[in-house]
Amino acid sequence: MALIEARNLTKIYGRQVACREICLSVEEGQIFGLLGPNGAGKSTLVKMLVGLVYPTAGEAKVAGYTPQDIRGRRRVGFLPENFRLHGWMKGEELLTFHARLAGLEGRAASRRAHEVLELVGLSGEGRKLVANYSKGMQQRLGLAAALVGDPRVVFLDEPTSALDPLGRRQVREILLTLKEAGKTVFLNSHLLSEVEQVCDQVAIINRGTVVAAGHLAELQSGPATVAIRLAGLTGELVAELRRLYPELQLEGDRLTLTLGDREEIADLVARLVAGGCRIYEVRPGHNSLEDVFVHLVREGEQACG
Amino acid sequence: MWLMALFTFREAWRKKVAFIAGALTLAFLILYGTGLHFITRDMVNTANPAATAASYFAMMQTVTLFVLGIYLASFLAAGLAVLAAVGSVAGEIENGTLYTLAVRPLSRRDLLLGKFLGLAAMLVTYAALFFLALAGLVYWQTGLVIPGLVPALGLFILEPLVLLAVTMLGTTRLSTLGNGVLAFALYALAVVGGMIEQIGALVESTAAIYTGVVTSLILPADAVYRRLVATVVDRLPVGNGQDIPRFINPQSMLGPFGSQSTPSDWMLLYTLVYIVVLLAAAIYSFKRRDI
Repeated sequence: MALIEARNLTKIYGRQVACREICLSVEEGQIFGLLGPNGAGKSTLVKMLVGLVYPTAGEAKVAGYTPQDIRGRRRVGFLPENFRLHGWMKGEELLTFHARLAGLEGRAASRRAHEVLELVGLSGEGRKLVANYSKGMQQRLGLAAALVGDPRVVFLDEPTSALDPLGRRQVREILLTLKEAGKTVFLNSHLLSEVEQVCDQVAIINRGTVVAAGHLAELQSGPATVAIRLAGLTGELVAELRRLYPELQLEGDRLTLTLGDREEIADLVARLVAGGCRIYEVRPGHNSLEDVFVHLVREGEQACG
Repeated sequence: MWLMALFTFREAWRKKVAFIAGALTLAFLILYGTGLHFITRDMVNTANPAATAASYFAMMQTVTLFVLGIYLASFLAAGLAVLAAVGSVAGEIENGTLYTLAVRPLSRRDLLLGKFLGLAAMLVTYAALFFLALAGLVYWQTGLVIPGLVPALGLFILEPLVLLAVTMLGTTRLSTLGNGVLAFALYALAVVGGMIEQIGALVESTAAIYTGVVTSLILPADAVYRRLVATVVDRLPVGNGQDIPRFINPQSMLGPFGSQSTPSDWMLLYTLVYIVVLLAAAIYSFKRRDI
């Protein structure tokens, strides 16, 4: 069942198109990563999904309701980018207030506030004024506020931007805990490694348009490089290979090729062996999410001139 | 909505808005009380104002001083109303505190009404204490119980609520600075318009009176003050026709601070409708905007 659905979601500010006909579907229990360069329209898309921004066209449903519907909002948690919390409150007081806004009563609200404080590693800091929290602590508190209503769907817009590596790891662990608990997480991040480590599905957005979407494995398939250390390579065989793989490079005993797919590596090795070569090492290049991202974004830039 | 109202009230309290306003008000009251003491110390007691010509004129002087105090106090109350509400939507969007509240299961109407009610509770408390402190000082120094104390208190409370409604509407669309400039400009317009209207009444200029009526329709804050003055002054005992002439008009002693041209009951009703309509417009505007 799709918990987040966007159909042709479009937002235009004056003559500036922030998002254009975005279609997305995120299944329940998944961690979905939204990637894109700065100004690509990621935050506008998230704001439309949580009901802060009205789309110019198209529609969205979150947890079965339109983003502005109060019934749906009971099931949604949101950590915005560039947010600030009310500094005049104490940490646990702020979370209790948010828990009450989310529908919990008196003691249940206070109990839940303590639970989420512990979850984000701030259990000893609840009695401090939020104004006295460090930036990283405020980010953790913001995450706690997003989770305090025990939502089914959590939108996190750059949740680790103010955190140190230890804090980032902790947030990743929290994301995986949420996944285990069956929650759906929509993660908006420019940290590709972070997305790569926790997300099931990814969409890449550039200039307000989704340029790629799917499972990580699908996105990472496609052209792959392979470096082979070998002996016994004849000139005829090199010429034959160069016809098939024009980007072939031969340096000493090292042959580097770009293949259409990683699956072709086995056929290539078989051909080399049949041609009389001795293979010492085969090293497939890792097609990282960063490669895919950079490739797609550059492609988009070139297409736009 | 009530949770949001309580939150807003506590925010005003904890951010020391009320404390700073209270400290300034206390300084004002000390200054006013000192002035009142030295001006009225040689006056006869006004506990029975209609007894003699001396006590009658002492009462008139005391009421004049009270009205001037109220005139200045209404500036402070209006200023607090504008400053408290000026950034309650736009400012919270600018600094990023509204996002986490606006995604909660709380309609935008309830969010805005909650903020309005929280600020209104703070302003009503402030205005009531301020008014009673002024009336108390007058009683302490002169023995005069301000006539029409309760309805005048109600009117004094109403004035900052008019400014609050205007500022709440402004903050749903304008930046904090723009909204503040607009609210204070409208208030200045209303005050100047009110002055022109009263001087017009003194010199019997219909055009000047209408000018004031028009500015009161744009922002009925000054009209509420004029009605307050009329509520107090019109209850004063008239002269006995012997040693206290009957023809003395207490309003004329107040000049442009008085209420020669008194706003009608319709203007009072207009003021209440004005607050409701502006609040409804603020809700409509807030509901339609992107955050």
